[in-house]
Amino acid sequence: MKVLAIRVAIVVALLGAWEIVGRTANPLLYVPPSAAVPALGRLLARDSYPDLAEHLLLTLREILVAYALAIVAGLGCGFALGFNRLVGRAYGPILAALYAVPAVVWYPSLMLFFGLDAASKIAFGFLLGFFPITLAVLAGIRQVSPQMLVVARAFGADGLTAFRKVTLPAMLFTLVGGLRTGLALTVIGVIVGEILGSKSGMGSLINHAYGLFRTADYIALVVVTLVLIVGSDALASAVEHRAQRWTD
Amino acid sequence: MSELIVVEGVSKRYVTSSGPVDALRDISLSVGGGEFCTLIGPSGCGKSTLLGMLGGLVTADAGRVVVDSRPVERPDPRRVATVFQDPGLFPWRTTLENVEFGLELQGVPAARRRQVATDLLGPLGLRDFAAKYPRELSGGMRQRVAIGRALAIDTPIVLMDEPFGALDEQTRVLMGEWLLDIWRRMRKTVVFVTHSLHEALALSTRVVVMTARPGRIKSVLELPMPYPRAMESSELVALRAKLWSDIRDESLRAMGEPHP
Ligand SMILES: Nc1ncnc2c1ncn2[C@@H]1O[C@H](COP(=O)(O)OP(=O)(O)O)[C@@H](O)[C@H]1O
Ligand SMILES: [Mg+2]
Repeated sequence: MKVLAIRVAIVVALLGAWEIVGRTANPLLYVPPSAAVPALGRLLARDSYPDLAEHLLLTLREILVAYALAIVAGLGCGFALGFNRLVGRAYGPILAALYAVPAVVWYPSLMLFFGLDAASKIAFGFLLGFFPITLAVLAGIRQVSPQMLVVARAFGADGLTAFRKVTLPAMLFTLVGGLRTGLALTVIGVIVGEILGSKSGMGSLINHAYGLFRTADYIALVVVTLVLIVGSDALASAVEHRAQRWTD
Repeated sequence: MSELIVVEGVSKRYVTSSGPVDALRDISLSVGGGEFCTLIGPSGCGKSTLLGMLGGLVTADAGRVVVDSRPVERPDPRRVATVFQDPGLFPWRTTLENVEFGLELQGVPAARRRQVATDLLGPLGLRDFAAKYPRELSGGMRQRVAIGRALAIDTPIVLMDEPFGALDEQTRVLMGEWLLDIWRRMRKTVVFVTHSLHEALALSTRVVVMTARPGRIKSVLELPMPYPRAMESSELVALRAKLWSDIRDESLRAMGEPHP
């Protein structure tokens, strides 16, 4: 309850500050909330951007495809490296080093490879989501105490059973954390990809509105995109809590 | 007494990065049904290795290990249950779920295994802790959960590797009394490892003293006296002195040896 009160207070204070700054500054560049709200209304009424739904759906589809690929490749790569000590030792550090490179540096080459359409956005979202998932699998496997696996073996578990009953639950929390981070980064990757160069998707609309100094529309688009991001993270967080209950 | 466990001429050498380690050399030992056989000896003399062989977790380089007339090749949770030195409880499982673990692996239906585990909580002294997680339990309770996990699969043989090693002296004595009671009621064959002379003398029907590494059998002490034992009786005091002198020699040898 207290937390909620503080949260509301922070939001109100931020909006208030924004309103004051927005009213005093150049109206072309800064828009107060009182002007952004009508813009949001126009946007949702399909007034300012009649094809909002198509762009939103495209972005969602790109995110889904990129995330699905990131999960498959991240889990596959993570378990392959994690269960194969030699390969893991050879490739683990390379992976960590690649993760440390700001991913945006890859984007131009992705556009060259995959073109300006959805494929390059999916590739970029995939690239951002893939690393945290792989690294979470590696970290998770390292967390499994060898003694627990010995116990499982002593009580009759074969390899697969030990994986299901011990390895997976022992690493689940870390794994789901990585999946959550992976989703957040995939979403960012897709949207940033659209902003950097695209003719469709939420990022392209944001770029369009911003480029034409339609600042109020721009803010409204950002708000819609934020809802998308926060919504997907809330979903991931709910899954995370479920996972915690499964392991409990 | 029928011999339930037979170990014949068993040796084990581990190959490590710093060279080979001879853990056991030419060990022979048999344990009859219903015995409480205790292994005692300096650290690193191969006690855990020997238990691992009885449990099918460690393979011998030479010799034979036979349990219940069958050569041991892999873990056999229908005959042998193990309580490990490091209990290795599953932190995401409650007390009850940890105790149920072995039954779950054997495919026992949920209602049945819950029943078995619940019935065990009373004698384990964990009735009020069924829904607690290992991190919420004291060291003694955790060790009892591990013992419960081993007892739940109701094997004729239970191996216990220093189960009370991490407990304080008082808890340890009480846990020993508790274990004695369980053992006598459940009529299991127990192979037990300890560093405590008191534990060995109070609980065992037989004490096997092992030498410093490479572990061999130094001496065997039969303890036919009834339970509960009067530890101050002249008989036990004399046995204690003999046991101590055997162990002392080997511990000194183990201490004098450069560290591996
Ligand atoms: N898996 C292993 N790999 C290499 N060396 C081992 C392994 N297990 C035990 N050893 C070594 O074998 C010796 C006997 O170990 P252990 O059976 O654990 O003795 P104890 O239980 O009597 O203390 C020790 O020197 C130990 O370091
Ligand atoms: Mg040991």
